Amino acid sequence: MAIIKVDHLTKTFDGKYAVADLSFELSAGKCVALLGPNGAGKTTTIRMLSGLLKPSNGTISFEGMKEGGDIREHIGYLPQYPVFHSWMTGTEFLVYVGQLANLTKQQASELAQKYLERVGIADAKNQRIGKYSGGMKQRLGIAQAMIHTPQLLMLDEPVSSLDPIGRREVLTLMEELKETTTILFSTHILSDAEEVSDDLLLMHQGEIVESGSIDGLRNKHQTTKIHLAFRENVDTYLTKLREIPSISEAHLERNEIQLAVSNIDHARTDILQIASQENWPLTKFEVSRTTLEDLFMKVVKR
Amino acid sequence: MQWMTIFKKEMLEYWRNFKWIWVPLVFILIAIMDPITTYYLPKILDTVGGLPDGAVFEMPETPPVAALMMSLTELSMFGVLVIVLTSMGLIAGERKSGVAELVLVKPVGYFTYITSKWGATLLLVWVSLIIGLLTSWYYVNLLFGDISFAALLQVIFFYGLWLTLVVSITTFVNTLFRTPGVVGFVSIAILIVMSIFNQIFSNKVTWFPNNLSSHIGDMLDSGTISGDLWGTTFIIILLIISLLFASLLTFRGKEMAN
Repeated sequence: MAIIKVDHLTKTFDGKYAVADLSFELSAGKCVALLGPNGAGKTTTIRMLSGLLKPSNGTISFEGMKEGGDIREHIGYLPQYPVFHSWMTGTEFLVYVGQLANLTKQQASELAQKYLERVGIADAKNQRIGKYSGGMKQRLGIAQAMIHTPQLLMLDEPVSSLDPIGRREVLTLMEELKETTTILFSTHILSDAEEVSDDLLLMHQGEIVESGSIDGLRNKHQTTKIHLAFRENVDTYLTKLREIPSISEAHLERNEIQLAVSNIDHARTDILQIASQENWPLTKFEVSRTTLEDLFMKVVKR
Repeated sequence: MQWMTIFKKEMLEYWRNFKWIWVPLVFILIAIMDPITTYYLPKILDTVGGLPDGAVFEMPETPPVAALMMSLTELSMFGVLVIVLTSMGLIAGERKSGVAELVLVKPVGYFTYITSKWGATLLLVWVSLIIGLLTSWYYVNLLFGDISFAALLQVIFFYGLWLTLVVSITTFVNTLFRTPGVVGFVSIAILIVMSIFNQIFSNKVTWFPNNLSSHIGDMLDSGTISGDLWGTTFIIILLIISLLFASLLTFRGKEMAN
Protein backbone atom coordinates (compact mmCIF):
# COMPACT_ATOMS: atom_id res chain seq x y z
CA MET A 1 0.00 0.00 0.00
CA ALA A 2 1.38 3.38 -0.99
CA ILE A 3 1.54 5.85 1.86
CA ILE A 4 2.62 8.75 -0.30
CA LYS A 5 2.44 9.23 -4.01
CA VAL A 6 4.53 11.75 -5.90
CA ASP A 7 3.58 12.70 -9.43
CA HIS A 8 5.78 14.69 -11.81
CA LEU A 9 7.22 16.68 -8.94
CA THR A 10 9.39 19.51 -10.23
CA LYS A 11 11.22 22.37 -8.58
CA THR A 12 13.11 25.11 -10.32
CA PHE A 13 15.26 27.77 -8.71
CA ASP A 14 15.78 30.76 -10.99
CA GLY A 15 14.99 28.66 -14.04
CA LYS A 16 17.38 25.87 -13.08
CA TYR A 17 15.97 22.47 -12.32
CA ALA A 18 16.73 21.27 -8.82
CA VAL A 19 14.23 18.45 -9.09
CA ALA A 20 12.94 17.43 -12.48
CA ASP A 21 9.76 15.46 -13.02
CA LEU A 22 9.98 13.10 -10.10
CA SER A 23 7.40 10.33 -9.76
CA PHE A 24 7.49 7.63 -7.12
CA GLU A 25 5.50 5.94 -4.40
CA LEU A 26 6.48 4.97 -0.91
CA SER A 27 4.99 1.83 0.57
CA ALA A 28 3.82 1.82 4.15
CA GLY A 29 6.17 0.14 6.59
CA LYS A 30 9.28 0.38 4.43
CA CYS A 31 12.49 2.18 5.10
CA VAL A 32 13.51 3.96 1.93
CA ALA A 33 16.83 5.60 1.22
CA LEU A 34 17.04 8.56 -1.09
CA LEU A 35 20.57 8.10 -2.33
CA GLY A 36 22.54 10.45 -4.49
CA PRO A 37 25.64 12.60 -4.64
CA ASN A 38 25.66 16.11 -3.22
CA GLY A 39 23.48 18.44 -5.23
CA ALA A 40 21.31 15.66 -6.61
CA GLY A 41 18.14 17.32 -5.29
CA LYS A 42 17.56 15.10 -2.25
CA THR A 43 17.06 17.92 0.26
CA THR A 44 14.82 19.84 -2.12
CA THR A 45 12.67 16.74 -2.61
CA ILE A 46 12.32 16.12 1.11
CA ARG A 47 11.54 19.76 1.78
CA MET A 48 8.79 19.67 -0.81
CA LEU A 49 7.36 16.51 0.74
CA SER A 50 7.34 18.19 4.13
CA GLY A 51 5.60 21.29 2.82
CA LEU A 52 8.51 23.65 3.45
CA LEU A 53 9.04 24.31 -0.24
CA LYS A 54 6.34 24.75 -2.81
CA PRO A 55 6.63 22.50 -5.86
CA SER A 56 6.95 24.37 -9.16
CA ASN A 57 4.95 21.60 -10.68
CA GLY A 58 3.49 18.20 -9.89
CA THR A 59 1.54 16.80 -6.98
CA ILE A 60 2.16 15.04 -3.70
CA SER A 61 -0.75 12.99 -2.39
CA PHE A 62 -0.80 11.45 1.01
CA GLU A 63 -2.74 8.30 1.78
CA GLY A 64 -5.94 9.12 3.63
CA MET A 65 -5.52 12.86 3.47
CA LYS A 66 -8.59 14.88 2.66
CA GLU A 67 -8.65 17.34 -0.20
CA GLY A 68 -6.96 20.54 1.03
CA GLY A 69 -5.74 18.77 4.15
CA ASP A 70 -2.51 19.65 5.88
CA ILE A 71 0.22 17.17 4.99
CA ARG A 72 2.22 18.35 7.99
CA GLU A 73 -0.11 16.47 10.35
CA HIS A 74 1.05 13.16 8.93
CA ILE A 75 4.78 13.62 8.66
CA GLY A 76 7.75 14.08 10.92
CA TYR A 77 10.77 15.85 9.53
CA LEU A 78 14.37 16.20 10.59
CA PRO A 79 16.36 18.78 8.62
CA GLN A 80 19.98 18.17 7.75
CA TYR A 81 21.15 20.71 10.30
CA PRO A 82 18.41 20.93 12.92
CA VAL A 83 18.44 24.20 14.86
CA PHE A 84 16.62 24.47 18.16
CA HIS A 85 15.91 27.26 20.60
CA SER A 86 19.18 26.85 22.46
CA TRP A 87 17.75 28.52 25.59
CA MET A 88 15.18 25.74 25.97
CA THR A 89 15.77 22.39 27.60
CA GLY A 90 15.28 19.19 25.62
CA THR A 91 12.02 18.46 27.41
CA GLU A 92 10.71 21.98 26.94
CA PHE A 93 11.39 21.90 23.23
CA LEU A 94 9.71 18.53 22.73
CA VAL A 95 6.65 19.60 24.70
CA TYR A 96 6.55 22.83 22.69
CA VAL A 97 6.60 21.19 19.26
CA GLY A 98 4.31 18.43 20.54
CA GLN A 99 1.71 21.01 21.45
CA LEU A 100 2.19 22.65 18.08
CA ALA A 101 1.28 19.28 16.58
CA ASN A 102 -2.05 19.50 18.41
CA LEU A 103 -1.20 17.32 21.40
CA THR A 104 -2.42 18.42 24.79
CA LYS A 105 0.21 19.52 27.24
CA GLN A 106 -0.31 16.30 29.19
CA GLN A 107 0.10 14.09 26.10
CA ALA A 108 3.08 16.11 24.88
CA SER A 109 4.85 15.73 28.23
CA GLU A 110 4.30 11.98 28.34
CA LEU A 111 5.44 11.48 24.76
CA ALA A 112 8.40 13.80 25.27
CA GLN A 113 9.50 11.64 28.17
CA LYS A 114 8.98 8.48 26.16
CA TYR A 115 10.96 9.65 23.13
CA LEU A 116 13.72 11.20 25.21
CA GLU A 117 14.30 7.75 26.63
CA ARG A 118 13.84 6.05 23.30
CA VAL A 119 16.52 8.16 21.60
CA GLY A 120 18.73 7.88 24.64
CA ILE A 121 19.09 11.44 25.89
CA ALA A 122 16.84 11.19 28.96
CA ASP A 123 19.82 12.08 31.14
CA ALA A 124 20.14 15.47 29.51
CA LYS A 125 16.45 16.26 29.31
CA ASN A 126 16.67 19.22 31.68
CA GLN A 127 19.82 20.67 30.17
CA ARG A 128 19.76 23.65 27.84
CA ILE A 129 19.93 22.48 24.23
CA GLY A 130 22.77 24.93 23.71
CA LYS A 131 24.96 22.54 25.67
CA TYR A 132 24.07 19.45 23.63
CA SER A 133 26.64 17.75 21.39
CA GLY A 134 26.03 17.19 17.69
CA GLY A 135 24.88 13.61 18.21
CA MET A 136 22.52 14.60 21.01
CA LYS A 137 20.99 17.32 18.85
CA GLN A 138 20.49 14.81 16.06
CA ARG A 139 18.69 12.47 18.46
CA LEU A 140 16.61 15.31 19.84
CA GLY A 141 15.83 16.10 16.23
CA ILE A 142 14.58 12.57 15.66
CA ALA A 143 12.54 12.75 18.86
CA GLN A 144 10.87 16.01 17.80
CA ALA A 145 10.07 14.49 14.41
CA MET A 146 8.47 11.45 16.08
CA ILE A 147 6.58 13.20 18.86
CA HIS A 148 3.17 13.30 17.15
CA THR A 149 3.52 9.70 15.90
CA PRO A 150 3.58 10.61 12.21
CA GLN A 151 2.86 8.01 9.55
CA LEU A 152 5.92 9.03 7.60
CA LEU A 153 9.24 10.03 9.09
CA MET A 154 11.57 12.00 6.85
CA LEU A 155 15.18 12.42 7.80
CA ASP A 156 17.49 14.59 5.74
CA GLU A 157 21.06 13.29 5.92
CA PRO A 158 20.56 12.01 9.47
CA VAL A 159 24.08 10.65 9.89
CA SER A 160 26.25 12.66 7.52
CA SER A 161 27.37 15.27 10.01
CA LEU A 162 28.08 12.84 12.81
CA ASP A 163 31.29 11.21 13.98
CA PRO A 164 31.54 7.39 13.68
CA ILE A 165 30.08 6.77 17.13
CA GLY A 166 27.17 9.14 16.70
CA ARG A 167 26.61 7.70 13.25
CA ARG A 168 26.42 4.18 14.58
CA GLU A 169 23.99 5.24 17.32
CA VAL A 170 21.63 7.00 14.95
CA LEU A 171 21.70 4.10 12.48
CA THR A 172 20.81 1.69 15.28
CA LEU A 173 18.01 3.98 16.33
CA MET A 174 16.69 4.04 12.78
CA GLU A 175 16.77 0.24 12.69
CA GLU A 176 14.47 0.27 15.72
CA LEU A 177 12.20 3.00 14.42
CA LYS A 178 11.62 1.33 11.10
CA GLU A 179 9.76 -1.46 12.88
CA THR A 180 6.92 0.95 13.60
CA THR A 181 7.12 3.78 11.06
CA THR A 182 7.66 4.36 7.39
CA ILE A 183 10.97 6.13 6.97
CA LEU A 184 12.35 8.11 4.09
CA PHE A 185 15.89 9.30 4.59
CA SER A 186 18.43 10.88 2.33
CA THR A 187 22.10 10.09 2.25
CA HIS A 188 25.06 10.30 -0.07
CA ILE A 189 26.71 7.29 1.52
CA LEU A 190 25.77 3.98 -0.05
CA SER A 191 26.74 1.83 2.89
CA ASP A 192 24.34 3.72 5.18
CA ALA A 193 21.57 3.11 2.69
CA GLU A 194 22.45 -0.58 2.36
CA GLU A 195 22.58 -0.98 6.11
CA VAL A 196 19.13 0.21 7.15
CA SER A 197 16.92 0.60 4.13
CA ASP A 198 14.69 -1.85 2.29
CA ASP A 199 14.31 0.21 -0.83
CA LEU A 200 16.49 2.62 -2.73
CA LEU A 201 15.69 5.68 -4.74
CA LEU A 202 18.83 6.64 -6.58
CA MET A 203 18.84 10.31 -7.51
CA HIS A 204 21.13 12.21 -9.78
CA GLN A 205 20.80 15.74 -11.15
CA GLY A 206 17.24 16.09 -9.96
CA GLU A 207 16.00 12.84 -11.41
CA ILE A 208 15.41 9.36 -10.11
CA VAL A 209 17.70 7.21 -12.18
CA GLU A 210 17.06 3.89 -10.51
CA SER A 211 14.74 2.56 -7.85
CA GLY A 212 13.71 -0.69 -6.26
CA SER A 213 14.51 -2.94 -3.36
CA ILE A 214 18.16 -3.25 -2.40
CA ASP A 215 18.24 -6.95 -3.22
CA GLY A 216 16.38 -6.45 -6.46
CA LEU A 217 18.80 -3.81 -7.59
CA ARG A 218 21.75 -5.91 -6.60
CA ASN A 219 20.51 -8.79 -8.74
CA LYS A 220 19.47 -6.62 -11.61
CA HIS A 221 22.78 -4.86 -11.93
CA GLN A 222 24.96 -7.75 -11.06
CA THR A 223 27.27 -8.82 -13.84
CA THR A 224 30.13 -11.19 -13.40
CA LYS A 225 33.65 -10.10 -14.11
CA ILE A 226 36.90 -11.99 -14.38
CA HIS A 227 40.18 -10.31 -13.52
CA LEU A 228 43.38 -11.71 -14.96
CA ALA A 229 46.93 -10.68 -14.26
CA PHE A 230 50.05 -11.80 -16.12
CA ARG A 231 53.73 -11.67 -15.42
CA GLU A 232 54.48 -10.27 -18.87
CA ASN A 233 53.18 -9.49 -22.37
CA VAL A 234 49.69 -8.59 -21.25
CA ASP A 235 48.74 -7.14 -24.62
CA THR A 236 49.27 -10.31 -26.59
CA TYR A 237 46.99 -12.26 -24.29
CA LEU A 238 44.37 -9.56 -24.49
CA THR A 239 44.00 -10.06 -28.23
CA LYS A 240 43.82 -13.80 -27.76
CA LEU A 241 41.17 -13.50 -25.07
CA ARG A 242 39.04 -11.31 -27.29
CA GLU A 243 38.73 -14.20 -29.71
CA ILE A 244 37.06 -16.48 -27.14
CA PRO A 245 33.31 -16.47 -27.88
CA SER A 246 32.10 -16.72 -24.25
CA ILE A 247 33.81 -13.40 -23.42
CA SER A 248 31.70 -10.42 -24.31
CA GLU A 249 34.17 -7.71 -23.43
CA ALA A 250 37.82 -7.42 -22.51
CA HIS A 251 39.89 -4.43 -21.59
CA LEU A 252 43.03 -3.51 -19.79
CA GLU A 253 42.89 -1.71 -16.49
CA ARG A 254 45.92 -1.02 -14.30
CA ASN A 255 47.89 -3.79 -15.97
CA GLU A 256 45.13 -6.28 -15.32
CA ILE A 257 42.73 -7.64 -17.83
CA GLN A 258 39.08 -7.28 -16.99
CA LEU A 259 36.59 -9.53 -18.70
CA ALA A 260 32.88 -9.21 -18.82
CA VAL A 261 31.32 -12.58 -19.41
CA SER A 262 27.84 -13.83 -20.13
CA ASN A 263 28.30 -17.34 -18.77
CA ILE A 264 30.87 -17.71 -16.07
CA ASP A 265 31.19 -21.50 -16.32
CA HIS A 266 31.89 -21.53 -20.06
CA ALA A 267 34.26 -18.63 -19.81
CA ARG A 268 36.24 -20.19 -16.98
CA THR A 269 36.65 -23.48 -18.82
CA ASP A 270 37.69 -21.74 -22.02
CA ILE A 271 40.22 -19.48 -20.36
CA LEU A 272 41.80 -22.09 -18.15
CA GLN A 273 42.00 -24.50 -21.07
CA ILE A 274 43.83 -22.15 -23.37
CA ALA A 275 45.98 -20.91 -20.50
CA SER A 276 47.22 -24.39 -19.66
CA GLN A 277 47.66 -25.40 -23.31
CA GLU A 278 49.77 -22.37 -24.12
CA ASN A 279 51.35 -22.18 -20.70
CA TRP A 280 50.33 -18.56 -19.98
CA PRO A 281 52.26 -16.80 -17.19
CA LEU A 282 49.11 -16.22 -15.16
CA THR A 283 49.58 -14.63 -11.74
CA LYS A 284 45.94 -14.03 -10.90
CA PHE A 285 42.58 -15.42 -11.78
CA GLU A 286 39.67 -13.85 -9.95
CA VAL A 287 35.92 -13.90 -10.36
CA SER A 288 34.01 -10.91 -8.95
CA ARG A 289 30.55 -9.50 -9.01
CA THR A 290 29.67 -5.87 -9.58
CA THR A 291 28.26 -4.16 -6.52
CA LEU A 292 25.78 -1.39 -5.92
CA GLU A 293 28.83 0.78 -5.49
CA ASP A 294 29.65 0.23 -9.17
CA LEU A 295 26.07 1.06 -10.05
CA PHE A 296 26.24 4.22 -7.97
CA MET A 297 29.52 5.26 -9.57
CA LYS A 298 28.24 4.47 -13.04
CA VAL A 299 25.14 6.57 -12.49
CA VAL A 300 26.98 9.48 -10.97
CA LYS A 301 29.65 9.64 -13.66
CA ARG A 302 27.15 9.45 -16.45
CA MET B 1 -4.39 26.30 21.61
CA GLN B 2 -1.40 26.60 19.30
CA TRP B 3 -1.69 30.36 19.62
CA MET B 4 -1.26 30.15 23.38
CA THR B 5 1.57 27.61 23.00
CA ILE B 6 3.65 29.99 20.89
CA PHE B 7 2.61 32.97 23.01
CA LYS B 8 3.74 31.24 26.19
CA LYS B 9 6.97 30.15 24.56
CA GLU B 10 7.66 33.78 23.64
CA MET B 11 6.90 34.86 27.21
CA LEU B 12 9.38 32.30 28.53
CA GLU B 13 11.94 33.45 25.99
CA TYR B 14 11.53 37.12 27.01
CA TRP B 15 12.02 36.03 30.57
CA ARG B 16 15.13 33.98 29.85
CA ASN B 17 16.75 36.67 27.69
CA PHE B 18 15.84 39.37 30.24
CA LYS B 19 13.59 41.37 27.93
CA TRP B 20 11.07 41.48 30.76
CA ILE B 21 13.70 43.32 32.81
CA TRP B 22 15.46 45.66 30.46
CA VAL B 23 12.66 46.81 28.17
CA PRO B 24 10.49 48.17 31.03
CA LEU B 25 13.58 49.72 32.65
CA VAL B 26 14.57 51.44 29.42
CA PHE B 27 11.00 52.69 28.99
CA ILE B 28 11.04 54.17 32.50
CA LEU B 29 14.33 55.86 31.73
CA ILE B 30 13.12 57.26 28.42
CA ALA B 31 9.83 58.47 29.93
CA ILE B 32 11.25 60.33 32.92
CA MET B 33 14.45 61.63 31.32
CA ASP B 34 13.06 64.81 29.78
CA PRO B 35 10.63 65.96 32.50
CA ILE B 36 13.26 65.52 35.19
CA THR B 37 16.11 67.24 33.35
CA THR B 38 13.74 70.11 32.51
CA TYR B 39 12.81 70.50 36.15
CA TYR B 40 16.36 70.46 37.35
CA LEU B 41 17.79 72.52 34.47
CA PRO B 42 18.22 75.74 36.52
CA LYS B 43 20.07 73.82 39.23
CA ILE B 44 22.18 72.00 36.67
CA LEU B 45 23.11 75.30 35.05
CA ASP B 46 24.07 76.68 38.47
CA THR B 47 26.26 73.72 39.28
CA VAL B 48 28.18 73.86 36.04
CA GLY B 49 28.98 77.53 36.48
CA GLY B 50 25.75 79.38 35.98
CA LEU B 51 24.96 82.08 33.47
CA PRO B 52 27.44 84.88 32.75
CA ASP B 53 27.09 87.89 35.02
CA GLY B 54 24.40 90.23 33.94
CA ALA B 55 22.65 87.76 31.68
CA VAL B 56 19.00 87.56 32.54
CA PHE B 57 17.42 84.27 31.63
CA GLU B 58 13.86 83.67 32.59
CA MET B 59 13.06 79.98 32.79
CA PRO B 60 9.66 79.46 31.24
CA GLU B 61 7.19 77.81 33.55
CA THR B 62 6.43 74.26 32.29
CA PRO B 63 2.81 73.25 32.65
CA PRO B 64 2.21 69.61 33.73
CA VAL B 65 0.62 68.69 30.41
CA ALA B 66 3.72 69.87 28.53
CA ALA B 67 5.90 67.85 30.90
CA LEU B 68 3.93 64.66 30.30
CA MET B 69 4.01 65.33 26.56
CA MET B 70 7.80 65.43 26.79
CA SER B 71 7.67 61.77 27.79
CA LEU B 72 5.61 60.95 24.71
CA THR B 73 8.03 62.83 22.46
CA GLU B 74 10.97 60.87 23.83
CA LEU B 75 9.06 57.59 23.61
CA SER B 76 8.18 58.33 19.99
CA MET B 77 11.88 58.61 19.33
CA PHE B 78 13.81 56.20 21.56
CA GLY B 79 10.89 54.03 22.65
CA VAL B 80 10.08 53.27 19.03
CA LEU B 81 13.74 52.52 18.35
CA VAL B 82 13.82 50.07 21.26
CA ILE B 83 10.66 48.36 20.01
CA VAL B 84 12.09 47.94 16.52
CA LEU B 85 15.37 46.62 17.89
CA THR B 86 13.71 44.07 20.16
CA SER B 87 11.26 42.82 17.56
CA MET B 88 13.33 42.87 14.38
CA GLY B 89 14.16 39.20 14.84
CA LEU B 90 10.62 38.22 15.82
CA ILE B 91 10.07 36.01 12.77
CA ALA B 92 13.13 36.77 10.65
CA GLY B 93 15.41 35.50 13.42
CA GLU B 94 13.74 32.10 13.55
CA ARG B 95 13.78 31.82 9.79
CA LYS B 96 17.42 32.81 9.54
CA SER B 97 18.59 30.47 12.28
CA GLY B 98 16.53 27.57 10.94
CA VAL B 99 14.29 26.97 13.96
CA ALA B 100 11.35 27.97 11.79
CA GLU B 101 12.05 24.88 9.72
CA LEU B 102 11.23 22.71 12.74
CA VAL B 103 8.32 24.82 13.96
CA LEU B 104 6.57 25.36 10.65
CA VAL B 105 6.81 21.71 9.64
CA LYS B 106 4.36 21.06 12.44
CA PRO B 107 0.75 21.78 11.50
CA VAL B 108 0.82 25.41 12.65
CA GLY B 109 -1.26 27.97 10.79
CA TYR B 110 0.84 30.85 9.50
CA PHE B 111 -1.65 33.38 10.88
CA THR B 112 -1.41 31.73 14.30
CA TYR B 113 2.37 31.84 14.08
CA ILE B 114 2.47 35.53 13.12
CA THR B 115 -0.24 36.86 15.42
CA SER B 116 0.90 34.93 18.50
CA LYS B 117 4.36 36.41 18.17
CA TRP B 118 2.87 39.81 17.46
CA GLY B 119 0.67 39.48 20.55
CA ALA B 120 3.60 38.50 22.73
CA THR B 121 5.56 41.57 21.65
CA LEU B 122 2.51 43.73 22.27
CA LEU B 123 2.19 42.50 25.84
CA LEU B 124 5.83 43.38 26.47
CA VAL B 125 5.43 46.81 24.84
CA TRP B 126 2.17 47.67 26.61
CA VAL B 127 3.45 46.64 30.03
CA SER B 128 6.63 48.65 29.47
CA LEU B 129 4.61 51.65 28.29
CA ILE B 130 2.29 51.49 31.30
CA ILE B 131 5.18 51.25 33.74
CA GLY B 132 7.08 54.01 31.95
CA LEU B 133 4.19 56.44 31.81
CA LEU B 134 3.10 55.68 35.37
CA THR B 135 6.58 56.62 36.57
CA SER B 136 6.60 59.73 34.42
CA TRP B 137 3.11 60.67 35.67
CA TYR B 138 4.29 60.27 39.25
CA TYR B 139 7.19 62.66 38.74
CA VAL B 140 5.11 65.14 36.75
CA ASN B 141 2.58 65.30 39.57
CA LEU B 142 5.39 65.71 42.06
CA LEU B 143 7.39 68.34 40.21
CA PHE B 144 5.06 70.20 37.85
CA GLY B 145 1.47 69.89 38.99
CA ASP B 146 -1.60 67.72 38.83
CA ILE B 147 -2.72 65.56 35.96
CA SER B 148 -5.66 63.30 36.73
CA PHE B 149 -5.22 59.53 36.70
CA ALA B 150 -8.13 59.26 34.26
CA ALA B 151 -6.26 61.53 31.84
CA LEU B 152 -3.18 59.32 32.18
CA LEU B 153 -5.22 56.24 31.34
CA GLN B 154 -6.49 57.96 28.21
CA VAL B 155 -2.94 58.86 27.23
CA ILE B 156 -1.79 55.26 27.76
CA PHE B 157 -4.66 53.88 25.74
CA PHE B 158 -4.28 56.16 22.73
CA TYR B 159 -0.51 56.25 22.72
CA GLY B 160 -0.38 52.47 23.12
CA LEU B 161 -2.21 52.23 19.80
CA TRP B 162 0.63 54.11 18.13
CA LEU B 163 3.17 51.67 19.57
CA THR B 164 0.92 48.80 18.48
CA LEU B 165 1.15 50.17 14.96
CA VAL B 166 4.95 50.27 15.26
CA VAL B 167 4.97 46.59 16.33
CA SER B 168 2.65 45.73 13.44
CA ILE B 169 4.90 47.48 10.91
CA THR B 170 7.94 45.60 12.22
CA THR B 171 5.99 42.32 12.18
CA PHE B 172 5.02 42.92 8.58
CA VAL B 173 8.61 43.71 7.56
CA ASN B 174 9.63 40.54 9.44
CA THR B 175 7.65 38.50 6.94
CA LEU B 176 9.40 40.20 4.02
CA PHE B 177 13.05 39.59 4.90
CA ARG B 178 14.93 36.85 6.67
CA THR B 179 17.76 38.96 8.09
CA PRO B 180 16.91 40.73 11.36
CA GLY B 181 19.29 43.62 10.56
CA VAL B 182 17.52 44.31 7.28
CA VAL B 183 14.16 44.11 9.04
CA GLY B 184 15.30 46.71 11.58
CA PHE B 185 16.68 48.99 8.91
CA VAL B 186 13.61 48.84 6.69
CA SER B 187 11.20 49.27 9.62
CA ILE B 188 13.03 52.37 10.80
CA ALA B 189 13.18 53.70 7.24
CA ILE B 190 9.39 53.29 6.95
CA LEU B 191 8.86 55.13 10.25
CA ILE B 192 11.17 57.96 9.20
CA VAL B 193 9.38 58.35 5.87
CA MET B 194 6.05 58.45 7.75
CA SER B 195 7.42 61.10 10.06
CA ILE B 196 8.74 63.27 7.20
CA PHE B 197 5.46 62.88 5.34
CA ASN B 198 3.62 63.99 8.46
CA GLN B 199 5.82 67.05 8.95
CA ILE B 200 5.17 68.22 5.40
CA PHE B 201 1.46 67.46 5.16
CA SER B 202 0.29 67.46 8.79
CA ASN B 203 -2.25 70.23 8.11
CA LYS B 204 -3.84 68.38 5.23
CA VAL B 205 -3.90 64.84 6.64
CA THR B 206 -5.01 65.41 10.21
CA TRP B 207 -5.84 61.72 10.71
CA PHE B 208 -2.35 60.53 9.77
CA PRO B 209 -1.02 58.17 12.49
CA ASN B 210 1.95 60.37 13.36
CA ASN B 211 -0.46 63.16 14.35
CA LEU B 212 -1.69 61.05 17.25
CA SER B 213 0.64 62.66 19.80
CA SER B 214 -0.47 66.17 18.97
CA HIS B 215 -4.13 65.10 19.24
CA ILE B 216 -3.35 63.54 22.62
CA GLY B 217 -1.79 66.85 23.66
CA ASP B 218 -4.96 68.68 22.63
CA MET B 219 -6.99 66.15 24.59
CA LEU B 220 -4.96 66.85 27.73
CA ASP B 221 -5.33 70.61 27.25
CA SER B 222 -9.03 70.67 26.52
CA GLY B 223 -10.10 67.67 28.55
CA THR B 224 -12.21 66.31 25.69
CA ILE B 225 -11.49 63.69 23.07
CA SER B 226 -11.63 65.41 19.72
CA GLY B 227 -13.09 63.96 16.52
CA ASP B 228 -9.60 64.11 15.04
CA LEU B 229 -8.26 61.85 17.79
CA TRP B 230 -11.00 59.30 17.15
CA GLY B 231 -10.37 59.60 13.42
CA THR B 232 -6.66 58.99 13.81
CA THR B 233 -7.39 56.06 16.15
CA PHE B 234 -9.68 54.60 13.51
CA ILE B 235 -7.01 54.94 10.81
CA ILE B 236 -4.40 53.32 13.08
CA ILE B 237 -6.61 50.33 13.91
CA LEU B 238 -7.41 49.92 10.23
CA LEU B 239 -3.70 49.99 9.39
CA ILE B 240 -2.89 47.43 12.10
CA ILE B 241 -5.47 45.00 10.77
CA SER B 242 -4.33 45.52 7.18
CA LEU B 243 -0.69 45.00 8.15
CA LEU B 244 -1.52 41.70 9.87
CA PHE B 245 -3.31 40.40 6.82
CA ALA B 246 -0.56 41.69 4.55
CA SER B 247 1.91 39.78 6.75
CA LEU B 248 -0.07 36.60 6.25
CA LEU B 249 -0.16 37.09 2.49
CA THR B 250 3.57 37.75 2.14
CA PHE B 251 4.40 34.93 4.52
CA ARG B 252 2.31 32.48 2.52
CA GLY B 253 4.25 33.43 -0.58
CA LYS B 254 7.59 32.72 1.06
CA GLU B 255 9.51 29.47 1.02
CA MET B 256 10.08 28.29 4.56
CA ALA B 257 13.53 26.95 3.77
CA ASN B 258 16.21 28.26 1.46
